[in-house]
Amino acid sequence: MSITDQQMHDSHDDHGHHGHYEEGGNHHDTAQEKHRKEHMATWLFIFGDVVFFLLELFFWFYLRANNTAGMWRAANCTPANGKLGPTDEGLNTCTDGLFNPITHAIPKANPVYTIIVFALIAIAAAFVWFAEVQSRKGATKKTTHPLTALALFFVLAAIAAQFYQFQVLPFTTIQGTYASTFEFYMGSNVAHFLLALVIVTGLWSRSRLGKFDNGKWYQLHLSRLFLVWVAASCVILGLVTIFFA
Amino acid sequence: MSTIAPMLLEDTKLEPKAGGFYRHQNFLTGLIVGILSGFIGWVVSLALLQGSNFGSDMVVTVTLTCWVIGFNAGMGTFNAIFRWILGHDQNHEDELYAAGVGQGWKRYWKYCTDHKVVGTQYLVLVMVLFGVGGTLAMMIRTQLLSPNSRFMSPETYNAIVSIHGMIMIIATIIMVSGPFANFIMPIMIGAKDMAFPRLNAMSFWVVVSAVPPILGSFFLGGVPAGWTTYAPLSVQAPPAMDAFAITICTFVISVTVAGINTLVTVLTMRAKGMTMGRLPIFVWGSIIAGGLGLYAMPAFLMAQSALITDRVVGTGFYVAEQGGTGWLYENTFWIMGHPEVYVILIPPVGALIEIASTFARKPVFGYKVMVAGISGIATLSIMVWAHHMFTTGWAPTLADPFMLTTELISIPTGIIFLCMVGTIWRGSIWTRLPMYFLYLFIFNFIIGGITGIYLSDVPADQYFHGNMFVTAHFHYTLLGGGLVGAMGAVCYWFPKVTSRMLNERIGKTAFWVVAIGIQITYMAQFYEGFQGMARRVANYNALFVDANRVSSAGAYILMAGMLIFMYAIIHSWRHGKKASANPWHAKSLEWMTLTPVPLENFLVDPVVTGHPYGYGEPDSKPVAPEMPVPVSANSGGSH
Ligand SMILES: [Cu+2]
Repeated sequence: MSITDQQMHDSHDDHGHHGHYEEGGNHHDTAQEKHRKEHMATWLFIFGDVVFFLLELFFWFYLRANNTAGMWRAANCTPANGKLGPTDEGLNTCTDGLFNPITHAIPKANPVYTIIVFALIAIAAAFVWFAEVQSRKGATKKTTHPLTALALFFVLAAIAAQFYQFQVLPFTTIQGTYASTFEFYMGSNVAHFLLALVIVTGLWSRSRLGKFDNGKWYQLHLSRLFLVWVAASCVILGLVTIFFA
Repeated sequence: MSTIAPMLLEDTKLEPKAGGFYRHQNFLTGLIVGILSGFIGWVVSLALLQGSNFGSDMVVTVTLTCWVIGFNAGMGTFNAIFRWILGHDQNHEDELYAAGVGQGWKRYWKYCTDHKVVGTQYLVLVMVLFGVGGTLAMMIRTQLLSPNSRFMSPETYNAIVSIHGMIMIIATIIMVSGPFANFIMPIMIGAKDMAFPRLNAMSFWVVVSAVPPILGSFFLGGVPAGWTTYAPLSVQAPPAMDAFAITICTFVISVTVAGINTLVTVLTMRAKGMTMGRLPIFVWGSIIAGGLGLYAMPAFLMAQSALITDRVVGTGFYVAEQGGTGWLYENTFWIMGHPEVYVILIPPVGALIEIASTFARKPVFGYKVMVAGISGIATLSIMVWAHHMFTTGWAPTLADPFMLTTELISIPTGIIFLCMVGTIWRGSIWTRLPMYFLYLFIFNFIIGGITGIYLSDVPADQYFHGNMFVTAHFHYTLLGGGLVGAMGAVCYWFPKVTSRMLNERIGKTAFWVVAIGIQITYMAQFYEGFQGMARRVANYNALFVDANRVSSAGAYILMAGMLIFMYAIIHSWRHGKKASANPWHAKSLEWMTLTPVPLENFLVDPVVTGHPYGYGEPDSKPVAPEMPVPVSANSGGSH
C-alpha cells in the first residue's frame, strides 16, 4: 500500500504548523477533541474526589455512631457521672490526646461561620458559572474579566473565612472525634479552595488577555464544573456538621 | 511502496528558545531545588514547631512535603500551570521540545512528555524499586535462617518488613501500567501520544519524588507497623511513619493522574476504525485497572492523611482513648487494599492474553466474555474488603456476606483463566520466552487462587490469618502471578521498547531459576503456615527451623534468578540483536509501526480494518496500512 500525495501533504501541513495552542492535550487536536478530553478528565477527577468525599462522610457517621469511650463530643464526661479521671483499670475514659482530663461536653461549632464559608465559595462558583454563560453568549473580556475578578475575590474570602473559623472554634483537634472530623472537613475545604484559587487566578488572568473571547468558553465551563462540585461538597459537609453534630 | 518518504519528526530543527523554562530543568535541578526546599522547610519548622506537642512529627512532615513540592518544581511539574495562569500557552515548538526533540539521551532525565520516554523511565524505576525491595526481602530471609537470629534487631526487622512490603506494592502497581500502558498502549490504539502528555510526565516524576521519603524512614526510627500500618500502632510509631504516609499521599496523586490519563486516552484517542470491540485485551485491562485505581486511591489518601493528622495535629480518628477506632483505619485501608491487588493484577493478565494469542497464533478465546470477566472482577473487588478483617472482631454479622462476595470473585477469575487456557488450547504454539512466563503464571496462579479460597473462608481464616500461609498465598498471587506476568510482558515488548531482541538464552536461564525459586520459597511458607508459624516475626520456635531454611534457600535462588533476568535486560538493551518492527509476526498495531518508534508513533495515521487477533483466518486483513520508510531511518534514528 502506498500513501497518496494528499496524505503526505496533510502530514507536512500538520508538522509545519506554528500556531498558538490552548493549554493541555496533544498538539494535533481540534478544539472539540481537546474539549472532549478535558471534559472527561474533569469528570474523572471529580469522581475520585467524590470517593474521598464519601469516605469523609463515612468517617463522620462511623465515629459518631461508635462514640468510642464516649468521646464523640465527650457528652458524658461530666464530673457528676463519675467517669472523670483514671478508672480502676488505670484507663482514663475521658481525656484528650495529651492525657488531660476532659470535664465537660465539647461544645458545637458556631454554624454561622460554617454557613459563611460555604456561602462564599458558592458565590465564587456562581460567578464563574455566570462568566461561562456570558462567554457562551459571545461576551468579551469586558464582561468576563470583572466576573472572574469577583469569583477570585470570593474564593479568597472563603479561604480567609475558613482560616478565621479555625481561630474561633470552641475546641481543638485533640478534643474528641467530633472535633477531629470537624477540623478535618475544614482542612479538606482549604485544600479544595486552594485548588480553586489556582484555577480562578488563571481564569482571572486569562480573561484579562481576552482568552475567553470569541466563543472560547470551554475552560470557563470546565472550571465551573469543578467549582460547583467544590461548593456542593462544602455545603454538604457543612450541613452535616450543623445537623448531625 | 511510497517514493517520497516523510521526514522523522525527531529531525525537526527547533527555535533556540523552544520549550521555555523546560530548557533549564532536569533531574539535577529537581534534586537541587528539592533538597534546598526540604532544607528550608526543615530549618523553619524546627525553629517554629519543635517545642510543640507533636514537634518532631511536624518537622518531618513539613520537611518531606517541601522536598516533594521542591523536587517537582525543579523538574518542571508546575511550569504548565504557571504558563496557563500567565496566559503564555505552549506553542507547537514548545511542545516538541517538551517531547524531547533534539535532546538525545538527555530527555530521559527531563520532564519529557513523549509517552515512550515516560514508559522507558517507568521501566527503569520499576527495576530499581524491585532491586531495593528484593534486597530487603533477602535481609528478611537471612534473619529467618535460624530461630533466634541476631542478624538484626527485632526493631530493624519490623522496619524492613514494612518497607519491603510497601516498596513492592508501589513497584507492582506501576510495573505494567507504568512501562507498558505508557509505551505500548497508545500505539496499540493508534494514538500519537497519551491524552495529556504533561500529566503523563507528571505521574512519573511524582512517583520519583515519593521514593526518598519511604527510604528515609529507616533513618527516622523505622516503620514498625507492617505494610498495612494498622492503627493505633502506626499512630504511636516513630517519625518514620510520617515519611511513609507522605510517600503514600504523593503516590496517590501519581496513580490518580495516570488513571485519568489512561482512561481519557483510550476513550477519546483511538484511531479510525479502532472500535471498543477491537481493543486488545491489554488495553481493556489498562482502562479497567485505571478506573479501579481511581476508586481505590482516594481511600488510600483518606486512610493515610487521617493518620498524618492523628500524628501531627492530634486528631483522634484511630485512637480509642480520643473516641476513634482502629477499625476505621482498617476499613478505609482495605477499601483501598483489595481493589488495589486487582489494579496490580489486571494489567499483567491483559499482557499475558496478548502473549497467548500471539504465540498460539489463535484469536483470543471468548473476547467478550473475557472483558466481562475483567469488569466483573473489578466490580466485585470493591465489595470484599472486610475479608481482611475476619479476625479483628469488626462486625461479625458481616463476615458471611463478605465471605460470599469473596468466593464469588472466583467465578470471573475462573472465566478469565478458562479464556486464557482456551486461547492457547490446540494452538500451533510458538514457544518463545514470553510463553514460558505465561505457563508459569498459570501454574502459580492456580496455587495462589485456590489458597485464596481457603482464606476467604471465615473458620479457616481464623487459623491461617496471622500465619505464614497468608504470606505464601499473597506472594504466589502477586509475585508468582503478577510479577511473573510483568516479566512476560517485558520479554514480549522488549523489542519494541528497546529496539533490540532480549537474549533468550540468558532469559530462559533466569526463567528456570525464578520458577524453581518461587516454588521452594513459598511452598515452604505454606508448610510453615500449616505448622502454625506466625508471620512478621523476627524470631520463632525451633519447630519451624527446617521449613524456614528451605524457604530462605528458595529465596536466594529466586533472587539469583531475578538478578539473571535483570542482567538479561541490561545486557540485551546494550548489546542485543537489532529487532525488526514485528519480530513475533503479531497483529496488533504496536507491531505495525517502525522500530524505533517515531516521535508520533505512526508516519501515516493508521486506519484499523480488523480485529487484532485475526490469526489463522485466511482472509484476515492487516489491521493497518503498511508504514512508509522514513528518510532518516537507516541513519539509526535518535534512539
Ligand atoms: Cu482482599
